[in-house]
Amino acid sequence: MRHVPTGLIVLFAGLLAGCQAEQSALAPHGDQATEIAKLAWLLFAMAGAVLAIVLAAVALALHAPDRVRKRLAGSPAVIVGGIAFPVVVLTFLLVYGLSLTASESRGGTADLRVEVTGEQWWWRIAYPGQNGESIRSANEIRVPVGANVEFVLKTADVIHAFWVPSLGGKVDMVPGRTNRLTLRAEREGIYRGQCAEYCGGPHAWMGLTVVAMPAADFADWLEAEAATSLTPADDGAWAGRELFLGAGCGGCHTVRGTNAAGSIGPDLTHFGSRRSVGVDTLPLSPENIARFIEDGQHIKPGNRMPPFRIFSGTELAQLSNYLAGLK
Amino acid sequence: MRRWRHWLRIAAILIMLAAGGGFLFAWSGLYNVAASSGHFAITEWLLAFVMQNSAEARAPLVNDPPPLDDPALIRLGAAHFQIECVSCHGAPGIKPSPVMQAALPAAPYLAAIDLKWSDKELFWVVQHGIKYTGMPGWPTLQREDEVWALVAFLKDLGRLDATAYRDLAFNTVAEADAKRRIADGNLPDMAQQCFRCHGSAEAAPISALVPSLNGQSPDYLVAALAAYAEGTRPSGIMQPMAATLGDDDRRKLAEFYAGRPKLAPASTAGSATDLGRTIAVDGIPDKGIPACLSCHGHDADASFPRLAGQSAPYLANQLRLWRKGVNTATPGAEIMAPIAQRLDEAAVDAVAAYFASLADDSAGSPP
Repeated sequence: MRHVPTGLIVLFAGLLAGCQAEQSALAPHGDQATEIAKLAWLLFAMAGAVLAIVLAAVALALHAPDRVRKRLAGSPAVIVGGIAFPVVVLTFLLVYGLSLTASESRGGTADLRVEVTGEQWWWRIAYPGQNGESIRSANEIRVPVGANVEFVLKTADVIHAFWVPSLGGKVDMVPGRTNRLTLRAEREGIYRGQCAEYCGGPHAWMGLTVVAMPAADFADWLEAEAATSLTPADDGAWAGRELFLGAGCGGCHTVRGTNAAGSIGPDLTHFGSRRSVGVDTLPLSPENIARFIEDGQHIKPGNRMPPFRIFSGTELAQLSNYLAGLK
Repeated sequence: MRRWRHWLRIAAILIMLAAGGGFLFAWSGLYNVAASSGHFAITEWLLAFVMQNSAEARAPLVNDPPPLDDPALIRLGAAHFQIECVSCHGAPGIKPSPVMQAALPAAPYLAAIDLKWSDKELFWVVQHGIKYTGMPGWPTLQREDEVWALVAFLKDLGRLDATAYRDLAFNTVAEADAKRRIADGNLPDMAQQCFRCHGSAEAAPISALVPSLNGQSPDYLVAALAAYAEGTRPSGIMQPMAATLGDDDRRKLAEFYAGRPKLAPASTAGSATDLGRTIAVDGIPDKGIPACLSCHGHDADASFPRLAGQSAPYLANQLRLWRKGVNTATPGAEIMAPIAQRLDEAAVDAVAAYFASLADDSAGSPP
């Protein structure tokens, strides 16, 4: 082992570059994620130390004088190095890891409680309203910076897992159970999450965005989110609204303030204020909305929305402009 | 020596004839393919023997039939037979056209013979046709339900006299209406066939398996005819009709039906269940089933059909076709097929019964 192969360096450098993005357990921006990152680094460090000790022992076994090699093969060395050392090290790591898990899942006093339900293949989100009603949204969670946010995690069908690596640990969403996870974002930013338990079909396209914003902005945003949908701004958007209702979109989607009250798919009341189309699949734009309406099965194969190829080009533009205007 | 060479030459010519004989015979035109020339008795026997055995060997692979004594199935089969089959095969009171009687083999006059075929053998023959006889296969292999309708009629054929056949295969009131309108120049000649099966303002469709078209949007009807003609919506019954209609005639017929008042519901409200109503009005969100009326309500988009008052067997049959993945290529079917596949058998029957009992579809429609 005179030198490390350059290919290996390039490979690992490439992997580490991925850690700088908005979805990384090694780029923590919350208390819980910080603790987890600390544990991860500790694990790396200790694993490194153990590896060094083992390599040293191998080197000694091969090249040291007979006297040293004899001692290395003796019972005391085996008892200390082979039994006592691993027991101590692994016990320490186990206790540390378990206590960390316990403290993280205990939560604390929550400043805000957000209900997140995993569905095939999107996230149903509900914030508490002022009068106990719930404010419904989907696929994008907004939280105030510095607040302890308790996520109430459920599933509507199969096992999903809620994981926003930069903010904290991964918690499964198990049928028939309600799990809880308290996270705190310590600074403004956009944190990406992912369903982290294979849930069938387009599981890989079940992303999630958490937007941490100043508390005052969050309050304004939540008030806007609680309101009914915006009235269309112009004739084109009105035509889009007619198309939305006439084509039966309301059978699956809700747009509060219209007759569209379906609960099968994501709530679209303020769809235009979100950042993506098709659950984090495409950036939000009228063009991408149109693409998803017509050809969603190629953009996110297996998703549960049938393709709607019943519109003319003009109609499709009107419909997607209406949806993009639902700020 | 000269004699020996002489025989050698003859032998060589004979060998060449034997080697290339088949080809030369075919090339020469000596074989008489004239239908009028008939077959030798042994050839006729051999061909029939091969055909019988071929159908018999393949019949066990045919899926089990639906109940073939269903009057809706028999009447649909009869009406289709009258349109597509009668000119070659005749019917009780209707002699086959001399044209196919001059074919070889002549098309059998089915009303005059005893059909000795089993249900599945008949199905196989009707679905696939028979090589070298002029008997065509069904235009699509996907619509087994349609083939069974014809088989159901053929099984019933033996007991029919001329009057019984006329009552079964014709829609007298509707066709009289059609003839008047064709004579007035308002509708294309095809209207008589349209009216025969789909009825008119006065008469109901000929069979519960055939939809009433009254009050549908013209856009929906024109799109459906185009899809049938192109085969994107597979149907061996509708495709030959739609394919021969020009764009103007399709539009005329669609506008005509769109302007007809709706018929009374196909069945009474008593036949509807809570499950059917729930699916139609609210859907079953947990199973990903949206309310039917969100797309099929009174004010929904013109590209979707209206279902209120439609017969339950027709609706259930269409839903089952989607469930089987038969009709998935049109823009409407791309939307409907995945939803139909989320319905179970009980839900299919319940929701079909609900719409059959519904006079007014304005409930649940968008503002």
